[in-house]
This record gives sequence, structure tokens and C-alpha cells, in this order.
Amino acid sequence: MTRAFWFALAILGAVLVQTGLGYLGPGPGLYVDPFLLIVVYAALAGGEIRGMLAGAAAGWVQDVLFGGRVLGLSALSKLVIGYAAGAAGRRFLVTTSGARALAVLAAAMADGILVPWLASVFAIEVTPVGPLVFVGRACTNALLGGLLFATVERRLQGRRS
Amino acid sequence: MPAMSMDAPARRGRILLVGLVLVHLGVISHQVDGGGGVSLLQRAILTAVSPVQRGVEAVVGGAAEAWRGYAFHRGTYEENRRLEKRLRELEAELQARAPRAQEVERLRELLQLRKALPLDTIAAQVIGRDGVPWFRTLTLDRGESDGVLLDAPVLSSTGVVGRVFAVGPHAARVQVLLDRDSGAGVLLERSHIAGVVSGQVSAPATGDADLLLKYVPDRADVAVGDLVVTSGLDRVYPKGLVVGRVRFVGKGSGLFRDIRVEPSARFDRLEEVLVVRGTEAPPSTPHSVTQ
Repeated sequence: MTRAFWFALAILGAVLVQTGLGYLGPGPGLYVDPFLLIVVYAALAGGEIRGMLAGAAAGWVQDVLFGGRVLGLSALSKLVIGYAAGAAGRRFLVTTSGARALAVLAAAMADGILVPWLASVFAIEVTPVGPLVFVGRACTNALLGGLLFATVERRLQGRRS
Repeated sequence: MPAMSMDAPARRGRILLVGLVLVHLGVISHQVDGGGGVSLLQRAILTAVSPVQRGVEAVVGGAAEAWRGYAFHRGTYEENRRLEKRLRELEAELQARAPRAQEVERLRELLQLRKALPLDTIAAQVIGRDGVPWFRTLTLDRGESDGVLLDAPVLSSTGVVGRVFAVGPHAARVQVLLDRDSGAGVLLERSHIAGVVSGQVSAPATGDADLLLKYVPDRADVAVGDLVVTSGLDRVYPKGLVVGRVRFVGKGSGLFRDIRVEPSARFDRLEEVLVVRGTEAPPSTPHSVTQ
């Protein structure tokens, strides 16, 4: 219950951030994916099942509010990413900020490949993303993810002690 | 035995993954096949979250306004000390009023367009845009309760913006013409040659990009600068609305020419738009709105 509450709150926060970025202009929103950060964090902290459920939920919200005409592409992509990140978190030691940032980098790159690929499978035209945006998006999210995860963990540790 | 208990959650996870992937594939296929999608879910989320987006827009707008006010007052104080108070005050005041003046100008243009159009339209505010890099969309603060319908054309004072593809009670989402998956029936006003504009040709991070004019025969009379207006043949956009101007005409690879159109609408600066209500009966005579 508490986890679900915090997850819902995080999703609401992601909506606020994404909307706020959109207000700044068409560029900034393309480089930051707060929903992805939530999915990776949930997956690393809770494993495959929580990761994929978080991915599906976050992806659907993103699809409905910020996606294209056909819904479900981000949801499916983040579902798979959530599962993979959860599995990676279970098998490898992803506890340092650097490792987590690397996990977000890989997740953002996977998302950048999965969504256009899924769209092509369903013959949905998507705007091609140039290498600069692709890499910039992955790096920005990795940096933000590393900082955000470290802050959250520090707070949680402080509360525990 | 411990190995088995370790495997059980992993197996459960894999089964769940496969199940969820299949469900998602089914949902996406259903929409692509023209089944109409998951409008109930879409409506529910749009209804729940659009007030939040509206709130964010108000808060960010207010903060920007407050920041401008702070900057203005600080500037005035500094100029007081340099005995140029009056002149600087006026300059700062002019600057502070510039955004308001621009807004008034935009709204005036929109009002002019609204009066000029032989269509029932409603003004709407853009409260969200471009959340993911693969799609070009906007969220508006008007929905079904304001008479906005699915596929309703959306216009700016300078040209066609796009069409509504999802609608909730108090919000609607718009697929802009720049989106690769969009399309609009058009014709060249000078030569009356018909075609279809869609998607953006290049993919810059900003909203600036050309539209692709497709299906124009290789020998057709097309020149740079030709005005492109909606043809009304797609039954979505009423005839005669300005889409843009031809920016480039190339040979093309097959039977058709390679034509790029510079859109008239300034997608990166959209704040207020007009949504056409009730497009079942488009006007019969051509009507260019902003030539």
C-alpha cells in the first residue's frame, strides 16, 4: 500500500515535470524522461515483477498524456525495460550511483531503440530521432537518474537510522 | 530444494512478462487495425491528469510572471540611483508589457481568424506538448464538454496545426502536422494540384521542420513559394485552410516529385489555438484564412 502510494506520487511528479518541461518549449521535454527514471528505480529496488508492473503503469500514463495516436508503445517498451532492469538488479550489484546511472543510460538507450522498432513492427510512422538527441537523451537521463537515486537513497537511509 | 524456490519467482516473472507483452501487443494491434483503441482508459487518465497539467501551466506561468516582476523592480531600483529613473522606468515598463502586448496581438489575430472563418470554432490554450521524441503532440484545455470532437481540426492564426486524436471531458490531445504519422489532403492554390502533406522531413530537436508533400506527379506545375491549402478531400480539414508554402521542389525517385513545404503554423510558439467544432459539413467554397 505504502509502495503503491509512493509510486503513484512519483508518477504524478513525473507528469508535473514533463508538463513543466513542455512549457519551456519543444526541446527540453525530449531529453528528459522522468517516467523511465521511476521504472528503473522501481526495478532495481523491487526486482523483475515490480519493475515490469511499474513499467507498464508508467508507460501507459506516458502514452496517454504524451504519446502518439496509438497507445501502448511506451508501455510495452517500459514493461520490457522494467523486467530487464529488475533482472539485472537481481544478478548484479547495482547499488552505487555510478552503476545506477549506467543502468539508466542502458535503459534510455533501450527505450530509444525499442519504441521506434515496435512502431515499425506495427507500421506506425514515428519521427526519427537523430544520434545527438538519442545520446543526449540517454546521458541526460543517466545523469539525472544517478543524482536522483543517490538523493532518494540518502533520505531513506537517514530515515532508517 | 533451495534452487527450486529460487526459480519459482523467476518463472512467475517470466510468465507474467510474456502475458503482459501479449496483452500489450493485442491492445496495440487492436488500435492499428482501426478498432478505436482504449478510449475509456484514455478518457479516464486525461480526465484525472489534465487539471494537474493545467495547474502546472498556471504555476509555471505565474512564476515566470513573478520573476519578470522581480527583475523589473530590481532594474528600477538600480536606475533610481543613477538618476535615469524616469527613462529606465519607461523602458522597463515597456519591456514588462511586451509579453502582454504579444499575447494581446496573438489573441487579436486569433479573433480575426475566428471571425473570418465560416466555421464554428472555440479558442483553446496549449497546456502540454511533446513528451516523447517520437511523436509531435499537444494537449489543449478544451474537451468534449466544450464541444470538441474527435478529428476536429486545430488552427492557429497563421495556419493549420493538426487534428484532435483523443478527447476527454475537459482536455484534448492534438496530433500536429509535423508528426510523422499525420496526414492532410492539400492542393496547391496556384495550379490546383492535389497531394497529401505529412510528417516532418528532418528530425531536429526543435519544432522547426518541413512537411513532405506527397503524390504530386513528376510533371506537375509546382514552384517554390506556392501556397499550399487544405483540399477538404480527407473529410477532416475543411477546404481552403492555409498549410504552408512550398520551400523546395526536387526530382523525386519515382513517379512523384520530392516537395517540401514550410508550415505556416509556428509549432514551437503555439500558446493559443482554435478548435473547429462540428466538421461534418465543410464549407463548399475555398476559403483561405491567412494568406
